[in-house]
Amino acid sequence: MFDGPPLSLEEELAAARAEPEPGPSIDMVNESLADGVNRCPKCGSTDVRLRASTGQLICLFCRHEWAESRVEEEFGLGVGIDELEGTVIAGGADEISSDQDVITMTCTGCGADVVVDTAHAMNARCHWCRHTLNVNQRTPNGAVPDAVLPFRLTHAEAVEKIREFASKRRLFAHPRFKKEFVPENVLGVYLPYLVIDARAEASYVGRGEVQTRRWTEKHGDSSTTYYAADVYAVDRQVAFTVDDLTVEGAADRANFDGSTTNNIVNTVLPFDTKNAVKWNSSYLVGFTSEKRDLDVEELKPVLEDQLLSIGRSQVEGSLAQFDRGVRWEAEKVDVGGSRWVSMYLPVWLYSYYQENTKMLHYIAVNARTGETMGSVPVSQWRLLAAAFTVGTFLEGIAGWILVVSA
Amino acid sequence: MITELTQVVVMASDGVPAWILAAGPAGGAATYWALYRYYRNTDKSHAYERDTIIAAQPVQGHQEKVDHISRTRDSDIDGDNSSKHRQRVQRLT
Repeated sequence: MFDGPPLSLEEELAAARAEPEPGPSIDMVNESLADGVNRCPKCGSTDVRLRASTGQLICLFCRHEWAESRVEEEFGLGVGIDELEGTVIAGGADEISSDQDVITMTCTGCGADVVVDTAHAMNARCHWCRHTLNVNQRTPNGAVPDAVLPFRLTHAEAVEKIREFASKRRLFAHPRFKKEFVPENVLGVYLPYLVIDARAEASYVGRGEVQTRRWTEKHGDSSTTYYAADVYAVDRQVAFTVDDLTVEGAADRANFDGSTTNNIVNTVLPFDTKNAVKWNSSYLVGFTSEKRDLDVEELKPVLEDQLLSIGRSQVEGSLAQFDRGVRWEAEKVDVGGSRWVSMYLPVWLYSYYQENTKMLHYIAVNARTGETMGSVPVSQWRLLAAAFTVGTFLEGIAGWILVVSA
Repeated sequence: MITELTQVVVMASDGVPAWILAAGPAGGAATYWALYRYYRNTDKSHAYERDTIIAAQPVQGHQEKVDHISRTRDSDIDGDNSSKHRQRVQRLT
């Protein structure tokens, strides 16, 4: 293929030496905060944490309350989705370039060195002077996201939700689960997600059938219904945008095969991600966190899969004429543009390890909407006994009908 | 007892069909699965097709008649996946 006259040697060398073009990116660093001591703007104390009932940060010393600004407006995340081009990655969703989770901060209160394991926590208390130290600067291991959605449900409310969920599922629950059920042990966890805006066009081809006739033929005592139908080659295309599609950012949570109960945590989505605020690790005081370990490149197939499903649900309404149904045989998605922002989203998580099956069961509560879902280990023999009882009862009725009609 | 039951089945063949005896095992299995799913929720996941803010342009497309089935006992198309949005099919590039 001819693509213009050959370049001169100098031009070739310059092109080879040039740095690769940086991808478009949104810088969402919270400039006002640093690693280490972050003081209350009113009194200077570092005893700052989230007050879930108001969704604001509160200084435990002077009771001053304040909040970080919403990223939606500050970084224009809700607009321009239909004009997105290429892959736009916010700073907190950048490629993970280090697996160094433990960072050492020098306490600016007393000079002591304090260690934080950023895989599970973003704060630490200085063991000498009791200042709270925060990790606010971007780390290369994926632990610091672009935004955080603060907890809204309190511990007591979460305990109530979990108790209510489990109490509806008592009769066939595993006896050991019932005995060891302590919903007060529920933990507040910030889980890592990537929140994606995207513009895409999906197309589908397949076969559809329209019934043209239906008739019944008698063969002796029995009769059979037959159908005649027209077969159509069908294709559909739809262009659409999605706003705040949310996917798991940790590989451990993104595995949905039957060997885990991760689907439970997935089910409590969606979150009101529009209310996410600029990163400030004071929101995480008193909670644990899980760091992101999946990159945008690894999650692109997940995005395409979800876009294909969304497109399919969009075209379904245009298939009403095919009363015998449609069988899609091939599909395609073109992602015109996507914007990726990493967020910590709040989940109350009650976990129970079932020893005999080596299965970790979760009951999860969305700490914004209160949506609750869970997996309760079952007592197999009770379940089988119930199934056997119902089966015997139905069989009895069937036998009785046969005898009576004979 | 089995011979009696067989007799009953044979006698019943022109009244109530004999497959009614499958009601017991089928009901038992259905009870098991319904309860299992209620407790374990293995079939649940985030319904992103419904719970995401989606702005779609009007759907485009066309259809063309390519064949006619003049006589079949099937009441619907083979492999209908028009509402199984997550079942992936061949991917075009």
